[in-house]
Amino acid sequence: MDDKTVLIVGGGLDGVRTALEQVETGAQVTIVEKFPTLGAERIPRDRLIRPEQAFINPDLEKVRDHNNIRILTYSDIKKINRDNGKLRVRILKHSLRVDNSKCNDCKACIQVCPVNMFDDFDEGLGFRTAVDFCNLATGGYNIYKEDMPVCQETCPVNLDIRAYVGLIADGKHLESLAKIRERLPLPGSIGRICPHPCETACNRQYLDEPISICFLKRFVSDVELSQEIEPVYETPEHKYPEKIAIVGAGPAGLTCAHDLARLGYEHIKIFESLPVPGGYLWVGIPEYRLPKKLLQREVDLICNMGVEIQYNTRIGKDVAFENLTNDYDALFIGIGCHMGLKLRVPGEDDYEGIVDCVTFLREQALGNLPKAKGKLIVIGGGNAAIDSARVGWRMGFDKVYILYRRTKKEMPANSWEIDAAEHEGVILQYLAAPVEILGENGKVTGMKCIKMELGEPDDSGRRRPVPIEGSEYIIDAETIVPAISQGTDLRFLDEGHDFDLSRWNTFLIDEETGATNIPGVFAGGDVVTGPDIAIRAIAGGKRAAVGIHEYLRSK
Amino acid sequence: MCTGRIDPAMVARAFQKRLDGLMVVGCYFGDCHYISGNVQAKAKIDTTRKLFKHIGVNEERLAFRQCSSGEASVFVKLVTEFDEKIRSLGPLGGDGDRVKAPEIFGKLEAAEAVLAGEKIRWVMGKRTPFLETGNIYGEIFTEHEFNRAMDMIIVEEIEVQEILAKLKEGARSVKDLAGDLAIPSERVFRYITALKRKGMVALDNVADRSPIFQLVPQEV
Amino acid sequence: MIYEKETRYVIPFGDIPSPRAEMPEISVDERRENYTEVETGFPEKIAVQEARRCLSCRRCLGCALCWAECKPEAIDFDIPDEELELEFDDVIITNGQDNAFYPFNPQLGYGKYPDVITDLQFERMLSPTGPFNGMVVSPLDGEIPGRIAVVQGDTGDDEEHLLSSLILGVNQSVIALDKIKDLEMVLISPLCESFQEKFFAEAEKIPGLQIIEGSPESVEKERDTKEPLLLKYSADGENKQKAFDLIVILTKPKISPELESLSNLFWTEFGMHVF
Repeated sequence: MDDKTVLIVGGGLDGVRTALEQVETGAQVTIVEKFPTLGAERIPRDRLIRPEQAFINPDLEKVRDHNNIRILTYSDIKKINRDNGKLRVRILKHSLRVDNSKCNDCKACIQVCPVNMFDDFDEGLGFRTAVDFCNLATGGYNIYKEDMPVCQETCPVNLDIRAYVGLIADGKHLESLAKIRERLPLPGSIGRICPHPCETACNRQYLDEPISICFLKRFVSDVELSQEIEPVYETPEHKYPEKIAIVGAGPAGLTCAHDLARLGYEHIKIFESLPVPGGYLWVGIPEYRLPKKLLQREVDLICNMGVEIQYNTRIGKDVAFENLTNDYDALFIGIGCHMGLKLRVPGEDDYEGIVDCVTFLREQALGNLPKAKGKLIVIGGGNAAIDSARVGWRMGFDKVYILYRRTKKEMPANSWEIDAAEHEGVILQYLAAPVEILGENGKVTGMKCIKMELGEPDDSGRRRPVPIEGSEYIIDAETIVPAISQGTDLRFLDEGHDFDLSRWNTFLIDEETGATNIPGVFAGGDVVTGPDIAIRAIAGGKRAAVGIHEYLRSK
Repeated sequence: MCTGRIDPAMVARAFQKRLDGLMVVGCYFGDCHYISGNVQAKAKIDTTRKLFKHIGVNEERLAFRQCSSGEASVFVKLVTEFDEKIRSLGPLGGDGDRVKAPEIFGKLEAAEAVLAGEKIRWVMGKRTPFLETGNIYGEIFTEHEFNRAMDMIIVEEIEVQEILAKLKEGARSVKDLAGDLAIPSERVFRYITALKRKGMVALDNVADRSPIFQLVPQEV
Repeated sequence: MIYEKETRYVIPFGDIPSPRAEMPEISVDERRENYTEVETGFPEKIAVQEARRCLSCRRCLGCALCWAECKPEAIDFDIPDEELELEFDDVIITNGQDNAFYPFNPQLGYGKYPDVITDLQFERMLSPTGPFNGMVVSPLDGEIPGRIAVVQGDTGDDEEHLLSSLILGVNQSVIALDKIKDLEMVLISPLCESFQEKFFAEAEKIPGLQIIEGSPESVEKERDTKEPLLLKYSADGENKQKAFDLIVILTKPKISPELESLSNLFWTEFGMHVF
């Protein structure tokens, strides 16, 4: 093959060698290297050496001079798509900000640069300055300017955390809130319930503990509430006449509506099957974590922008799906994952008193559950399980159990939530799984469980729980709440619909625009990602808002 | 003359000459004949105070106050209060300061080198643009962020200047520098590595197991 | 984005309140049979204090001092990033300068003691173009170490990895022994079969290198940080300990998380070339 094209990732010794090997076979080679210069010398790892021939140098001259090798330094791979047997690769080549052909290596810049930072090239053994040469041997001056600090980069909606936290430190709380609202329409809600991936990434953890980024967001939102200030939004520059329908008033739908309203769309209608807004935030997150009053206010602010919410309207039942696609110029689907999955153990469908966590939490939130009696068992290790147990404890169950098949360490729920549940007196039984639901006279009386032990790690890297034979035991209970996982409910689609779906029954979308394969129909939130955290649903709503805007403007 | 013209390096030098306190009295904000001289003065004095605090000089010895030329009684009050404050602190390098004489004068010498240095002067001068119109990339800083950046520069610069001052006396190993300057040795090691990278320090010789470093004379 | 290792160098500032603020909560008794919000929010003073803990991470400040100092006018902040979209038949990932590695035994004190370093750091240190021009020094105090241990980070690793890291360990020792006079050099690893067959006889003959078949357990320091590192390890079924000035940990290379996420989806050929 004469015209085979090969991309080599990494311009180190291995990369350079592989490039030369590939080019020998007649291929056209491109090398992508993260650093501003190609590789450094390495110590061999396949044979013993003598000190005088300690290091092997990559053959840089040969690579540089070769006509069929293209070198892209200081570059990152952003995306790879498979396209008709070819791999289409998007590469970002960072600007060096230094014209190395003019540079005379006088080091004046690095002597004055006030920023000392982690020296990547030397594995952090020394400092580098923000403007620096990369490699002593090959040079390559560059200015290292990150796009965002690590917290912002980790945040699914890229909140400007550094700025809003800094504004709080300056005492400018309302300015800080305005900064947050630039990208996040529900600061009070998210500031209470977000599992804050940003804090996991925070650099301060290497010094002591990360900054409490999430609760600071809540703080500024509380300041506004306590001072009874109404936020002011700028009137959009343009007004657009297109009609947009949004299915689901959850975090994704609300955010999508909010962003479109701020862009200037005046006819946005949200269809919501429940009598309340917020989706899972209302019917899944318990009141003691997120007061409904506060959520209602944040939703009202979005409605005040001219967004209409039609409640008690289920698509496919109250309104046909075709009507939406016909009557509206664009459609966003953000219906979440509101179907609790089954345990698949005997007796599950035979008795009254077994109710999945989504229904349990929803009916409690809507005030439809009768007063609790007896004991409650919740099965599962996620946040929904903990929420169900803590709600059950508040409802007045005599004893509340959580059954989880692995140990506390493997539990996917946030550690602080687990601690809070234990603190409140919820009994956590680790390494236990349900075997059979027991009942009498049509009602649940208890559950047969089995003890587990941890075996080899599975695909997810967590150790697989294995039942211990003969260790069955029984817990008496009147109510059992499986909180295993949740799935999407796509029954509103026709049997013969044309949507591309994943094997988990979620929508497959374009990663940049949120568009489904049907033109004008967009999706985001849990209905795309599967059950996930609210802030990622919000990011999905934001992405779709941009996608819808682009779609409508290019029509 | 405007308070904005006060050079922080001069302040550090004045304290080296056994000054016990210095109060800078500028106009009220908004009253500046040169628009923002007093704002700059305050920023400069604030930075110098921070530096003083870091090196162990009681920062109360340096104050920025405001009063107009018509307010004689306010001026008298400010001076009296400051006088009392300094009296209570006692002479420089005594009980009022974390670092005692004579070491404190060495620290002040390094402080002067920091304040006369380009790095801190340049960034200090960027305060107003950074907070209002943004840096070269158009990014606007919060005050907190600017202060953080400044803190980092102060901490690193003073330590680097102390190391350079010691090396001026003669070549030394990292271990000896750390011992002389009471800076953690792993930090001295990093500074020396960085200075070497910048071509300001070079290996002189290796005595037993101690690499000895010396200054590289810089072209002016 | 340049991939960074976890242990970052952060200088603590004097005036920052250190402990993270705790969220005040209502008592457990107040929670029963009602749905009152459990967390009551930060009071203003605490919130401002917490916000002041923020390090405001930023690399280039954008102060343009370098630009002002650059005589040949080589610095140009307006040079833009470039985005390229290219097509390839094949993509090969090499174990390049990414230099990410799998986590290893945290008891070995990496990140806690400056004089415990990784094999990658040691490789840079030994290199003539490295930060010290090939001089071996302890990052703790800049002294040339008299006793160095090279130890396996995770002894449960597979044979193939053990082999290549053992060879690297021996090679690094060879270079270090050549550079430092009277160096006590010890390599501790569960020696794998293929190493013993092919290389052990040769490695054993290297003057000054002591190879111990064992597994490193932990690294401690007595009293203050100036003391040497105390390495605890097990060998011949016994627990032993020995003092060192520098400890080098053999790590297992890994593809960086970003590349890995791409690789899960698309790589046709996945080559981790270990030379």
